[in-house]
Amino acid sequence: MKDYLATIVKNEQIAENIYEITFDVGEEVNVRAGQFGEISVGGTHLLRRPIAICKVEKNLVTYCYQLKGAGTRELATMGAGTRLNVLMPLGNGFFVEENEPKIALVAGGVGIFPIISVLREYAGKKQISAYVGFRNKGAVCGLDEFKKADKFVAVTDDGSFGEKMNSVQAFVADLKNGNRPDVVLACGPTPMLRALKKVVEEENLNCYVSLEERMGCGLGACVVCVCALTNGKNARVCKDGPVFNALDVVL
Amino acid sequence: MANLSVNLCGVELKNPVITASGTFGFGREFNELYDIGVLGGVSTKGLTLEARLGNPVPRIAESRGVILNAVGLQNPGVEYFLKKDLEWLKSTGTAVIANVAGKTLDDYKNICKKLDGKVDMVELNISCPNVKSGGMAFGIKPETVEEVTRYAKSGLKRTPLMVKLSPNVESIAANASAAERGGADCVSLINTLTGMAIDIERRRPIIANNTGGVSGAGVKPIAVRMVYEVAQAVKIPVVGMGGITCAEDAIEFLMAGATAVQVGTANFTDPLVCPKIIEGLNAWCDRHGIENISELTGTLQLNGK
Repeated sequence: MKDYLATIVKNEQIAENIYEITFDVGEEVNVRAGQFGEISVGGTHLLRRPIAICKVEKNLVTYCYQLKGAGTRELATMGAGTRLNVLMPLGNGFFVEENEPKIALVAGGVGIFPIISVLREYAGKKQISAYVGFRNKGAVCGLDEFKKADKFVAVTDDGSFGEKMNSVQAFVADLKNGNRPDVVLACGPTPMLRALKKVVEEENLNCYVSLEERMGCGLGACVVCVCALTNGKNARVCKDGPVFNALDVVL
Repeated sequence: MANLSVNLCGVELKNPVITASGTFGFGREFNELYDIGVLGGVSTKGLTLEARLGNPVPRIAESRGVILNAVGLQNPGVEYFLKKDLEWLKSTGTAVIANVAGKTLDDYKNICKKLDGKVDMVELNISCPNVKSGGMAFGIKPETVEEVTRYAKSGLKRTPLMVKLSPNVESIAANASAAERGGADCVSLINTLTGMAIDIERRRPIIANNTGGVSGAGVKPIAVRMVYEVAQAVKIPVVGMGGITCAEDAIEFLMAGATAVQVGTANFTDPLVCPKIIEGLNAWCDRHGIENISELTGTLQLNGK
């Protein structure tokens, strides 16, 4: 983990309210799928923006972000050549065991981007089925990446692209058809993860979820971004996570 | 090379830069980025007698130039700190300042007793704005500031006591004097200013606790003014904090009357900010022919005087 003075190579809109930004960080970096970075927007924004790492190719690190507030709106105005501090890689990331050849990826909304990093790490090495949900057709992106999966189902909340359902429903439909994975890796809005947790509990499936929370330091020092564990303790999303066993966290 | 060391009520700090409580944990995480032994001191996450889970999330929000937080004193408890973190933190070579909070006067005395002789200094948090039991009740009026300081001091035979003052009061100078009467060896200020930030789409405060403590670059002028007022009011040393992001900011506080400074929120913006401030202080002193940084303390001249 290091604070890189990173140069923006590309920063462009890829879907409604979604931008893809690629940095040249000046050296090859080792990143595990599901890890994140803290991007310093600068100016009057004192907090960095914790954003999942989507792709890494040698010196180039790509993040995708949604326009949410003043910080991400400002980030969207920055062009190639702009230099920003990016602290990375942070967090634990996803880890698939040797004895888990079949992976199901379940993602919703901006949760697709850390899941893309899983796909890039494990495509060709594992048998991957991906179930991806978007709000509507305008929000659809990342399809080229998901096509690397052995099986790929895209759905939307309003049926404007793919079937009208969410990613958990798409996963369950396939599960009922007998496509049972060894492990489920997921990221998305909390209600989605909650629904998924119920399914994996009933089906007795191994499942890891990547969580999101407002962060301070991103290093585990300030205990701002905690989530409640089922054992009654708190865990730090930035340091102990962002990936947790679904059974260990209160969703 | 200027001499950056300062003597804070008998404790020798290698430089005047201390990381502020709550922004730096117990130092381990930042030590992955740099050797925290370069710091003048580390003020730990606020400790209580028993472990605390803290407030619900979200615990943090941003507003232009500032942040708001309401962590609610999540900490593993003082015994855990003594067993698991203290030896390591001391071994880094930085001065260890244990920040403590309590619900009752006896809590403050008892937690001080546990730390006495083991840490370099105790910082009394009587001004946490985010928990009802965080001592805020003690931090508002001079009478209770004096009383809680006296209780805490009675638990400390060997370790000096720093009392951290709240800016959310009628007169911070009066409270500083009260802490001095109660036996404080030094005071630190300012703790955060109580504020609110609203998510207008949801028509709710962003922070689960509704209000949070405001800190960061934007509060600096308020903090500098208060440090000046307090330095005029007391004879004990003053540790200044509030919005420091660079060496020049730290020098403002020293000139206003601070012997040392604490850096908090800036650690989030730039995790390497403290070593940069230390280097910047050295460079500034060299440029200005200052041999000992302690010469700067209280050298402010008001206009028209």
